[in-house]
Amino acid sequence: MPVKGLRTVTTAQNGVGAFIHQCKRLDFHYCKYGGSSRGMLAFLTQTLPNFARENPQIELRVAPRPGKHPVIKGQYVNGREKAICVRNLEPIDILKKAMILKDASGDKLKRTKKPVTSINESVRGIWSPYHGDLRGV
Amino acid sequence: MKRLQLQRWSSTVLSPRARTVNRLHQHLYSASLRHQSTAAPLQSEPQDASIGTNFEDPEVMRQVRSAHKRKSQLQYPSPPVEAATNSAKLAALHARLYLPSRLPVQTLARTLVDASADPNADFNNESLATLGHDLLTYYTSEYLLCKYPRLPLTVIFAAMYAYVGPKTLAAMAKEWGVDLAAAPGGEVDPGYLQFRRVDPGTDVNAATDDVKTPRPYANAAKWRKTVTSKIFYDDEFGDPIKGASAPGEGVTAEQASATFVRALMGSVYLHAGRPAAKRFFEQHILSRSLNISDLFNFSQPARDLARLCARENFEKPVAKITSETGRLSRHPVFVVGIFSGQDQLGEGAGASLLEARERAALSALKGWYLYSPLNVRVPSSMEEDGASPWEPAHVDLGEVIT
Repeated sequence: MPVKGLRTVTTAQNGVGAFIHQCKRLDFHYCKYGGSSRGMLAFLTQTLPNFARENPQIELRVAPRPGKHPVIKGQYVNGREKAICVRNLEPIDILKKAMILKDASGDKLKRTKKPVTSINESVRGIWSPYHGDLRGV
Repeated sequence: MKRLQLQRWSSTVLSPRARTVNRLHQHLYSASLRHQSTAAPLQSEPQDASIGTNFEDPEVMRQVRSAHKRKSQLQYPSPPVEAATNSAKLAALHARLYLPSRLPVQTLARTLVDASADPNADFNNESLATLGHDLLTYYTSEYLLCKYPRLPLTVIFAAMYAYVGPKTLAAMAKEWGVDLAAAPGGEVDPGYLQFRRVDPGTDVNAATDDVKTPRPYANAAKWRKTVTSKIFYDDEFGDPIKGASAPGEGVTAEQASATFVRALMGSVYLHAGRPAAKRFFEQHILSRSLNISDLFNFSQPARDLARLCARENFEKPVAKITSETGRLSRHPVFVVGIFSGQDQLGEGAGASLLEARERAALSALKGWYLYSPLNVRVPSSMEEDGASPWEPAHVDLGEVIT
């Protein structure tokens, strides 16, 4: 048997070809009577239609949640969920919170220490002590 | 004796909806029936609901109408065509994948219905998946053969599996955010992938008897299967061809997701044409990362290299130590180069002389097999408008046979 092939799976590189938006659903919960939902009600009637038009790749759900503070929940492609409570916020601030959820990848927030993260091999290669000019001792 | 024969003639007397599930009739009449939203529902309405209701109240009528609709949807195995335009999930998926606007959401909804959910070929994705599978394997194989003309056949099979194998396609569907329906049905949102699941406790990997391979002596034990014969008798991944699953059987989530991706490719080709399908293929499948040099599994690289040099009339390969350190220590390192005359073919470092020589032979063989010509063109690029004249692609002698 000269050579065998090993079966693997190609790894995704989101954005190298097509870019798949990671937020797949946004749920907007409001209360019809609660005072903390006043800004949310204004947001739902005034800002949300435009927001939906600009982001066709996200499924939007609006659902009442009587007697509770208003909440925006984001569902992501990786299966995680993120929620932000928007009680007593103005529509413009709620839009900012919705944008945070929209642009998130769904992963837990983590600190990036290196300027570049890549699965590609380094162009320069790994330094080897056995190659190049050897220093005389 | 399985079916009550009375229903065959009684179906002409009864209302069309009262027909039981007769596969022939379903196949013949379903196309016209599906769109009839005004036909009477299967059962008559419950009497207590109509007593004392005000039929002029729009709210009540809306509820009655939606109840009718729900009941009529329940008798179909998959969502009706009209439901596609009302699904937010489906529209979001359409936009998320940048699908061409010429591909209607109704077709996208059809690609999400597996044959195990709806056996009717007019409403499931089987035909689209067949077309999509052919396109995917064609585009991938021509890319691999033109880009790496010297790849051994086993590695080509592995690379095909890595690019368009069922595992990869299922991972893609997951990364696209396609949700799986718990169970298929007419009332389910068409944005979910619908398929009948495998019964719990079923052995998925069990060898099935209904293997439809054209290979002679396929069941004979110890009958040698050459790699070359896999081109003729096996599928594009080098696996034996399996027959289609029985209509009542379930499929795994991986199979259903892979079929969906294939069907989507087929529907992009049908609705938006070849350039759009090619673009879809490049953006979603070819853009994924695969290191071809990781797919090789050599058993005797030094011997293979000697055979290769003999075939190509190179001088015999000779291993020479380039540098070394700590020969008598606990961690020696040897750097060995393989030379054919004055030319160095490969180099490798290892903790023993044998290991370093193996690695050097391996790198020399990979250097040979992974040769890639510059400015590669694939045959399907000739179908584009205004394509420059075709220059023959590099065709290699083939792998080293030992």
